[in-house]
Amino acid sequence: MLQTWRKYEHNATTWLLLLPAFASFFGLFAYPILVTLIQSFRPEGQADGFTFENYINFLSDPRGRDVIVLTFVLAIGTTFFSLLFSIPLALILRDKVRGHRFFRLLALIPLMVPGLIGALGLLLFFGSRGWFNLAAQALPFVTEPLTINYTLQGLMLFYVWLYFPYTALTTLSALEGLDRAVEEAGAVAGANPRQVLRYLIIPQIIPGVLAGSVLTFMTAFGAFSIPLITGGDYRPLSVQIYKEISSFIPAHWSAASAMAIVMGILQVAALTLYMRLLRQRQVR
Amino acid sequence: MRILKLYLHPLWNARLLLIYSFLSGFAILILAPFLMISLRSVGKGWFGKLWFPPEFTLQWFQTAIDIGNIPQVLGNTALIAAIAVAISTTIGILSGWAFGRRRLPGKEVLMAIILLPRMIPPITYALGVAKIFYGLDLVNTYLGVGLAHVSLCAPYAILVLSSTFEGLDERVLEASAVCGANTLKSFFYVILPMVLPGILASMIFTFTTSYNEFTLTLMTYGPDTVTMAVRTYLAIGEGYVEITSAMSVILVVPSLVILAMIQSGIQPEKLVGGFKGV
Repeated sequence: MLQTWRKYEHNATTWLLLLPAFASFFGLFAYPILVTLIQSFRPEGQADGFTFENYINFLSDPRGRDVIVLTFVLAIGTTFFSLLFSIPLALILRDKVRGHRFFRLLALIPLMVPGLIGALGLLLFFGSRGWFNLAAQALPFVTEPLTINYTLQGLMLFYVWLYFPYTALTTLSALEGLDRAVEEAGAVAGANPRQVLRYLIIPQIIPGVLAGSVLTFMTAFGAFSIPLITGGDYRPLSVQIYKEISSFIPAHWSAASAMAIVMGILQVAALTLYMRLLRQRQVR
Repeated sequence: MRILKLYLHPLWNARLLLIYSFLSGFAILILAPFLMISLRSVGKGWFGKLWFPPEFTLQWFQTAIDIGNIPQVLGNTALIAAIAVAISTTIGILSGWAFGRRRLPGKEVLMAIILLPRMIPPITYALGVAKIFYGLDLVNTYLGVGLAHVSLCAPYAILVLSSTFEGLDERVLEASAVCGANTLKSFFYVILPMVLPGILASMIFTFTTSYNEFTLTLMTYGPDTVTMAVRTYLAIGEGYVEITSAMSVILVVPSLVILAMIQSGIQPEKLVGGFKGV
């Protein structure tokens, strides 16, 4: 009897310890989402009523669909280019070249510095009077300043700048976890460096690398500060939601809420799909 | 094929050169934006095709501090971050202990649920937070903005601290009990020194999260609770590049200090777990 009571008491303390965490989870996350969900079914500007209009308006509007497509293009493109950039970078930094500590530190900077400042700096650097264009105009065949800011390519570049560290750092730690003896065995068995890379290194690190790229995808999908400042006319979902609130008086709460719900669902769906694909790869 | 090999051979020999040009390109891409911001913030009369400003001045900083009200904004930012860090570290210690040291049915699922706010874009629930806080009159209060930050900071604190507590060696605790320490004593003399680095790390990371947090602040701030991130955003909208640059330099200093701190103590790879607030 006493034993059961002790066990019960023990359990009760555990749940009591977890209480603040769940309070903050429900109060600051679950309940706000519920409020948003309810709001998304209210007719615009009314306190009650029920309508699907907000969703229908958003999803049937070609501009609404463009916004969703743009968000996915940016997120997937960023993931792809981050991978393309991170794998060589990690392969180089793994070999402990001179100054590798400095370059590792550099890869952390976009993570630590507020995104706003990164965005401002990039706008200045790639602007028509920035160093990038000054250097480009020193080349013989470039006469006009290259336009990078406020274009889709530029926005993608900025995204990669800000979000590649997730991929780069996980790739690096996956590479460092490898047993070098395997590569040496491969080399002894007569594989050239390219073959070692293709058949020994890449297959081993792929699970870790793709897991890291999930983080890049996730953050790029929800990116807010970079497209808000540097996007110009290219507005992904997050910015579009904010514009519904900030640029209308009275604010379009219901429309914004519907978009927020759509965005949350898309994010969860994309992540689930990505994870499932990853797991299938690993099983094979 | 022979010719191709002949051409490729010197390229392979020059691979160090290639590697370093790749790395210096990377360094330029990361650092040049910040260099340009800092030069902008002290440059005067920097127009046209000039690589560097012709004159230097501190007047933009002066203007930023006078007009941008920077001292008060910095105070706001620090106070809000302190509130967020205090609340989320308390939550993190309590729940981290439950996750790390107690038997808990469905631990993984619970942890995944707790980490959800870091996986969903903040804007999706920032709307709801703003709406609720309007109703509770929490918008434009320090507590309100700090609480909004807790939604992002707390999961991280829980994640870091539960792994800290999990790493505690059971035998050391037993040893302290065998040596006659009571619960209070073994807490202060044995457990606390062992977990302090973890608690500090969690505080540093939650502080950075709160300090950099933009989305949730933008939805809950008011005239009295402007933080550095929001002030810089407003300044970008106002369009005075030099003054905005001066503000950015002020805003970026704490991040760099923290970066230096963690570089000396904490492995960079661990940072990846803390998805940055966008």
